[in-house]
Amino acid sequence: MASKLINVESYQAENKIESSLRRAFELLEPKLRPPFPLSIPNLEEYAELNRAILYGVLCEPNFTKTHLKHLHAIVTDGYSFFVSLLVNIVREVYNKLVDSAKKQLVWVAREMVDVLGVGFDELLVCLLRQIVGGDFTKGNLWLCFEVVKIFLDKWDCLLEEEPLVLTSALYTFLRLLADHCRLSSNGEVEMLKQLEIQFCVKMLREQFSLCMRIGRDLIRLLLDLVHLPEFRVIWRDLALNPGEFTTPQFSDISELYRLRTSSRYSLLRITPEMETQLRFLLTHVKLGSQRRYQEWFAKKFLFAPERETLIVDIVRFICCAHHPSNDIIQSDVLPRWAAMGWLLKSCTKSYVEANVKLAMFYDWLFFNERADNIMNIEPAMLLMVYSIPKYIDVTHSLLEFLFLLVDNFDMNHNDLMRTGVLSAFTVLVQKGVVRSLDVLTSCDSLSPILKERLRRLFSASEAIVHKDLQPAHLPHQSIPSLVGPETPTMITAGVSSLSFPYKRKSSLANMQEV
Amino acid sequence: MQFLKDIVPAAQNNINTKFILLDKGRITMEGQNKTCLALVADETAAVHFQLWGDECDYFESGDIIHLIDGIFSYNRSSSLVLRAGRRGKIEKVGEFTMVFVETPNMSEIRWVPDPNNPKIYVQESIIAPHSRMFTPML
Repeated sequence: MASKLINVESYQAENKIESSLRRAFELLEPKLRPPFPLSIPNLEEYAELNRAILYGVLCEPNFTKTHLKHLHAIVTDGYSFFVSLLVNIVREVYNKLVDSAKKQLVWVAREMVDVLGVGFDELLVCLLRQIVGGDFTKGNLWLCFEVVKIFLDKWDCLLEEEPLVLTSALYTFLRLLADHCRLSSNGEVEMLKQLEIQFCVKMLREQFSLCMRIGRDLIRLLLDLVHLPEFRVIWRDLALNPGEFTTPQFSDISELYRLRTSSRYSLLRITPEMETQLRFLLTHVKLGSQRRYQEWFAKKFLFAPERETLIVDIVRFICCAHHPSNDIIQSDVLPRWAAMGWLLKSCTKSYVEANVKLAMFYDWLFFNERADNIMNIEPAMLLMVYSIPKYIDVTHSLLEFLFLLVDNFDMNHNDLMRTGVLSAFTVLVQKGVVRSLDVLTSCDSLSPILKERLRRLFSASEAIVHKDLQPAHLPHQSIPSLVGPETPTMITAGVSSLSFPYKRKSSLANMQEV
Repeated sequence: MQFLKDIVPAAQNNINTKFILLDKGRITMEGQNKTCLALVADETAAVHFQLWGDECDYFESGDIIHLIDGIFSYNRSSSLVLRAGRRGKIEKVGEFTMVFVETPNMSEIRWVPDPNNPKIYVQESIIAPHSRMFTPML
């Protein structure tokens, strides 16, 4: 007798995926025991047999080997249909699966890597997406452990067959590691952390050219790990010894800054369910009617304090991966900037708030009209502008943070960031996102220091343009008052830790001795 | 499947519809049974829904619910409510992804028998544009 596939609740409507697999299993059960019939199934029978075998694998742990042998014997499509069924289960019903079925699922996913089943990389990506950031429940840590093991155990095969999936894993585990480091240690978590570190360090040390495919968000994730000794040395090499990575296309960290990160990566840290709800919110819900939806979303996904780091991932998702059509932008649907305002207000921890702001402005720092997408920078701009009438403190704190980033994010590349931010502002005006920057520079309620800072940025633009012609000094800008006592320490704390690893060579030398 | 704006009070279990649960009131006892009033809505209208027994604990705001063979009528405390009743049932079919309006609220309408056909109720007047029990969240 097969066990259940999913936990059925009393008022839950029948689950279509579960029922289609179960029906196939019930129908074909007699044929699932050896000796297996030798007849060749037609297409429909083949699909049905795949469903039945899958149900057997997931619900009859005692017969797993038999079912898998059966699958190997009948397969004619490179496991493509079987893998697509698995993908569907992981995407749609993973959370509802009974524990034993989850175990079986991970086991059979491994098998699909071994046989190089068509689409196994997508299956692994789906599993990565089911690991929830900020979720320290046993089940979630278990999944994390199992999946990082797959990536370590199958390293050679993955590297040869689907190297890009390794970059997805790196993005995921760097991000999860930051959460896991905040967890008070126990034996299990410690082991998990070690595996995550082992995988990430191996990637960075052995396959750096592959890691570069992630682009600039790789640096953003590494910032959260500066405090780990394993990553501190990586930071030192990134900043001072790029040659250590033996990657010809990497001679300076700015080369990574210039690579925009594909939206594929920001999707990795959002479960499919979160993605569905966020996209619904930003596609169908009218501005003014969002309150209940926001509460439901928060209750489901952000309910515990440790979940708060997810907000950073959500902001990154909204900036980079959810780009509404012009029709929606011109409609009365909740705009992205308003959702960002809600998310920003939901932060209770200062380091999360700093990371959320960094997530909003990250693409500003390196903005290049030719390579970057204006949609990534639009929400932060509109949030600053639309906050002026009622929430000027939001405008202040965002603009202040932006300048702090320009000054402190990477002191060896201030010019790059000043140029990035300047071209971000310029393109936002050119493309009509805002009519003119007067809305900020002539805003009565905006602090004179910030207005002055903006004016200097814009006047510096001429200097940058002329730089090629005459290598004169750029007016060096430093506005220490921004980092003065009136600045909330949370912001400076956030930023100074960002730039800490490679501020001065001498301090790095000291660090090494420590 | 009916829209909520089209439901009319009647002593029949014939309403099939889908809605999202917006808010739940306090659970109270009616004899041996738990009961709880809720605000539900679809894209056309809202209405008060009476949850019964275990339904009160199971369903939460944000749930998308399919009502099969429900009834829209006056309950024991003379309020006009939609409910599954003894012959109907409700099932959770999803979460979150449904748009809704909070006005009109079909429970906040005064209905009177149709002068031409006293078996049918027709709308006489609007008592309140929104639920007076569950105020809109702005």
